[in-house]
Amino acid sequence: MQEHILSILIFFPALAAMLGFVVHKDGAKAYGITVAGIEFFLSLWLWHIYDPMVSGMQFMESAPLVSAFGINYLVGIDGISLFIIILATFFTLIGILSLTETRRVKDMIITLLFLEMTMVGVFAALDAIVFYVFWELSLVPMLYIIGAWGGPLRIYASVKFFLYTFTGSLIMLVGMLFMAYFYYQATGQWSFSILEWYRLILPANFQMWLFAAFFMGFAIKVPMFPFHTWLPYAHGQAPTIGSVILAAILLKMGTYAFVRFSLPLFPDAAVAFMFPIAILAIIMIIYAAMVAYAQEDIKQVVAYSSISHMGVIILGTFAMNVEGISGSVFLMIAHGVVSGALFLLVGVIYDRRHTKLMSEFGGLASVMPRYATIFGIMMMASVGLPLTINFVGEFLSLLGFYKQSHSYTLVAGTAIIVGAIYMLSAYKKAFFGPVTKEENKHLKDVNRTELLGLIPLVVIAIWLGVYPKPVLEPINNSVEAIVQLMHDKAQTPEAQKRIPNLATTGTMNSVSEAH
Amino acid sequence: MELYLYTALFSPLVGSLIAGLFGASRKTSFTGLLTSGLLLTSFISSVILLTYVMAGHTVHVEMMTWIATGDLYIPFGFVVDQVSVTMMMVVTTVSTVVHIYSIGYMSHDKGFNRFFSYLSAFVFSMMVLVMSDNFLGLFIGWEGVGLCSWLLIGFWYHKESATWAANEAFIMNRIADLAMLIGIFMIYWNLGSLQYDVVFAHISILPMPVITWIGIFLFIGAMGKSAQFPLHTWLADAMEGPTPVSALIHAATMVTAGVYLVVRANPIYSEIPDVGNAIAALGAFVAMFAATMALVNRDMKRIIAYSTLSQLGYMFVAAGLGAYWVALFHLMAHAFFKALLFLGAGNVMHAMHDELDPFKMGGLKTSMKWTWILMTLASVALAGIYPLAGFFSKDLILEVAFVEQHYILYSVLLITAGMTAFYSFRLVALIFHGDKRHLEHGIHPHEAYTFMLYAMAPLAILAVISGMVFKTPYYLMVTELLPAVQYHIHNHTTFWIMTIGTQLFVILAIAYAYKKYAKAVKVDKKVESGFFYQLLYNQYYIPKIYDEVFSKPYLQLSKLAWKEIDLKIVDAIVDGIANTIYRTGEKTHTMQNGNLSSMLRWMVIGLVVLLVLAVAFTAGYNAVNLQAM
Amino acid sequence: MELTLNHYLILSTILFCIGLIGVMRRKNLLMLFFATEILLNAVNVGMAAISHYRGDYTGQMFAFFIIAIAASEVAVGLGLLVVWYKRTGKIDLDQMTSMRG
Repeated sequence: MQEHILSILIFFPALAAMLGFVVHKDGAKAYGITVAGIEFFLSLWLWHIYDPMVSGMQFMESAPLVSAFGINYLVGIDGISLFIIILATFFTLIGILSLTETRRVKDMIITLLFLEMTMVGVFAALDAIVFYVFWELSLVPMLYIIGAWGGPLRIYASVKFFLYTFTGSLIMLVGMLFMAYFYYQATGQWSFSILEWYRLILPANFQMWLFAAFFMGFAIKVPMFPFHTWLPYAHGQAPTIGSVILAAILLKMGTYAFVRFSLPLFPDAAVAFMFPIAILAIIMIIYAAMVAYAQEDIKQVVAYSSISHMGVIILGTFAMNVEGISGSVFLMIAHGVVSGALFLLVGVIYDRRHTKLMSEFGGLASVMPRYATIFGIMMMASVGLPLTINFVGEFLSLLGFYKQSHSYTLVAGTAIIVGAIYMLSAYKKAFFGPVTKEENKHLKDVNRTELLGLIPLVVIAIWLGVYPKPVLEPINNSVEAIVQLMHDKAQTPEAQKRIPNLATTGTMNSVSEAH
Repeated sequence: MELYLYTALFSPLVGSLIAGLFGASRKTSFTGLLTSGLLLTSFISSVILLTYVMAGHTVHVEMMTWIATGDLYIPFGFVVDQVSVTMMMVVTTVSTVVHIYSIGYMSHDKGFNRFFSYLSAFVFSMMVLVMSDNFLGLFIGWEGVGLCSWLLIGFWYHKESATWAANEAFIMNRIADLAMLIGIFMIYWNLGSLQYDVVFAHISILPMPVITWIGIFLFIGAMGKSAQFPLHTWLADAMEGPTPVSALIHAATMVTAGVYLVVRANPIYSEIPDVGNAIAALGAFVAMFAATMALVNRDMKRIIAYSTLSQLGYMFVAAGLGAYWVALFHLMAHAFFKALLFLGAGNVMHAMHDELDPFKMGGLKTSMKWTWILMTLASVALAGIYPLAGFFSKDLILEVAFVEQHYILYSVLLITAGMTAFYSFRLVALIFHGDKRHLEHGIHPHEAYTFMLYAMAPLAILAVISGMVFKTPYYLMVTELLPAVQYHIHNHTTFWIMTIGTQLFVILAIAYAYKKYAKAVKVDKKVESGFFYQLLYNQYYIPKIYDEVFSKPYLQLSKLAWKEIDLKIVDAIVDGIANTIYRTGEKTHTMQNGNLSSMLRWMVIGLVVLLVLAVAFTAGYNAVNLQAM
Repeated sequence: MELTLNHYLILSTILFCIGLIGVMRRKNLLMLFFATEILLNAVNVGMAAISHYRGDYTGQMFAFFIIAIAASEVAVGLGLLVVWYKRTGKIDLDQMTSMRG
């Protein structure tokens, strides 16, 4: 079983989704919880049997699909993908547990399980085509969730979401095909295996074009400024569960793909594009934070805050050193936990009041103290308070980029200021002050079902903030391998200078060895 | 000793968590007693650690790894040395007193349990701040106290002004924290470690500009927490919080964290005397600047807050001039008498039903005798009259400035000392002497609970003796770690002239305050409408300027970014592309009119176009290839 | 004067143009079929000529294929045409608009 664990993880939810059609609709939620629970425990078991000291891929499986063109079903995980997979299974479970939707629950459960398959698939895939297939497949359930259970503008939002991301990924597909063709030219064999591609050293000008093609697909998914406008609509219209999964997992596909594809495949291009991308990331951070500050709808605040935080992730990724990339991968997980929790929390109040406008709330802290406390903890995590999960990621990402540029980091660091501004003012509007609206005076505090989803998230947000080692260590080992690979592949002097060589450490850190 | 260290550190956390469990339940005195008891435990542990450190040892423990990636290694490490043990004593003493006092002060408040949870959490954060053995650990505490300060300023969250002040404090501190983070980044990338011992041992090998920048960035961080100009406005607004909070956080402990940072990082600042001078200059400026605002203010708590600000300025003068032990000494003495002053103000507020304007009080000394005595004592200590604490610590700073030959700083501080005495006794006179103006408002004041007064007693004792008794042992202990420089004016005549002169000057200022305010309060309309009075009364219009220059434009810019840029430009372009494609389809679908002959014609046209393209590309390709050959 | 490849290609081109014009102008379905046949045969001429010229029989083979396919196409097409005529009584192209998009 151990050698097929990844296949089981990928296809078990899909199989269960198929079987779900025959389940009676009253038992659908219980069925969903069972399946998602088993899946989650399988992923935990995966963590248990994962060897954190190994930096390369583990649990690899391979089966030929189209052998003439070197397309294989190739899956495997390393420290980078392991935790995002666990995050995906975890959030599916949390999402189903705290599901308050009453319309067509069975369809929702089946869709979610199908979505789970695609999510695990994306992060486990090591073959570009398999990756692409899962990447695109993940759009379908999301489209359905937004389109079928969403708000009044759901059709517009879902079509926009679909077409926008689809356009980007088509450009990415062209890049993949060209990459494979190039591999064929160089070696005389077709291969879509990412690991094979890693070995290829591309001429710098090819790298630029390919990097740009991949960038389109990833940047729209992240979403990076100026490709971000689908996100507020998708979040604004999606039901709570849709927003949670979208923010927690689906956005991470883009940043994960940067680490998996763009950096190791095109190190020279990545270095060449470092500063333009850093500028985009800084614009994302500050601009999205400002837009978040101007919002009237609390869900949009969280949505724009996601964009802002993704900017920090991008910045950490393009720091090109272990600190930065580890930090950005950690921040992916951190942001998944925190933004997922925030969307769940927004869902709680939406279920009660059927509005998300902050002007409709006010003084909720006295009516719903537990809710306010949990929201406050998550808000502080989002703001990046030390000893919460976000701080570790944000600190490392910014620390990493500081090595590349001081001034850029100083500007990007305003994230911690502007983040506090929009979050605190939103919290003040919704929770502080007197209770002005009559309907708010007798709102029920969070109930047991909701706590079931929220408490684990609070625990994780603090646990990994205080003790990030179990997660950070495997990430660190895998990131070190990637950075070393990038350094070895780098051709331009600029890239060789910017990407540290880990094989001979201690040039700069002679002091640190003293202790 | 490690056990005592952990006890001192974690007792407040335990108390906070347990009290937090009852946060939403009804008031139980149990939470107050428990947290106070645990604080006392922490205090006792600190005392034991103090005796250990006085014996010449230090304790250094590494609890566990926190962040380790790449070359970065940051543990949860704690150190109890001469500096941190001093801070621990200050923190645990004041916070124990404030906890016990708060049991009485908050006894009628709905959020009693919540209050103690926050307060103990603050103490924990503060202990982390002072005990950490690396810069990032310090940053944990740094942000932690910021969070607790936010929670406690906004404790009465139904009040708009309170929540506004809480957010202002948090955000302004964040601005400074960014600078501090940058400083930390610089240290890491230049030295590869954030541990104090490693950093301080190797700081001198760095090039001068790098050390200077590190010093500047760290100091900007300190400016935020210690509310130095221009990041000072939050401190006065923070008085919206409950008064025990003001005593503990915004007078005795948190705001002095900036001074602590500079003292702790003294090996860095010793390398860069120019930055030190700038710090001292800023400190002197703030000392005077804040004192002037305190002269005319009509809000009891704000007056004390400005006084705190002014005293922080003094501390920075000492720290900037390299007299680190003097700065730390004044920090300690100030914590005692300022906390006492605040708690006294809390008694007055209780008696006056939260009235803050001293002009509406008066003659309270009959009904609140003990509070009167305690507050007068604290004010005398603050004014620096022999033999109370302020004389030993504050006048020492004056001497430092004199000995270091910074005569401008010296004169500024001297004048400020006079102002300090004046506004302190203006307050005392207005509150406790003169007519009972409060009777017009139908208030009948009463003395605070006896146990609250008893709780204040230790602070009163410390405010009296800490200067005289502690100075020598403190000096001997702390100079093991800090540069041991004695500031003596060698010429005896000069020394006596200065000391007596200063004392006389201060006493004159006190006498003037009594004369002006102790009898009948005459409001001089002409002075009040004058430019200077208005300038001072409106805090130099700085809050207003900040509002107009930063807050409002930022909000407007944000709205612009959303409504104009995001919706009308970025999103409109995306929708525009989609709509163009859609409309092209709408327009061209007439081609598919179903008429076979017109379709055939389109087919032929397509064929011709393709042919032309094929020929053109072939020709072009050949041309390029021929050129290449 | 000897017949060269060019002559054949010119013939083929002329035939193709005639066929093309027929395809575009004719409204009678039967005439359209004729035009299509002319088009195909224009290509056949070109194929056969080039095949002969290069001494490679592939072209001629393709020409035979095309003849065969054209024949079957005409057979199917005429069959449909007859059915259409029986149904509507007309074989005018402009009347056939059931595939309007």
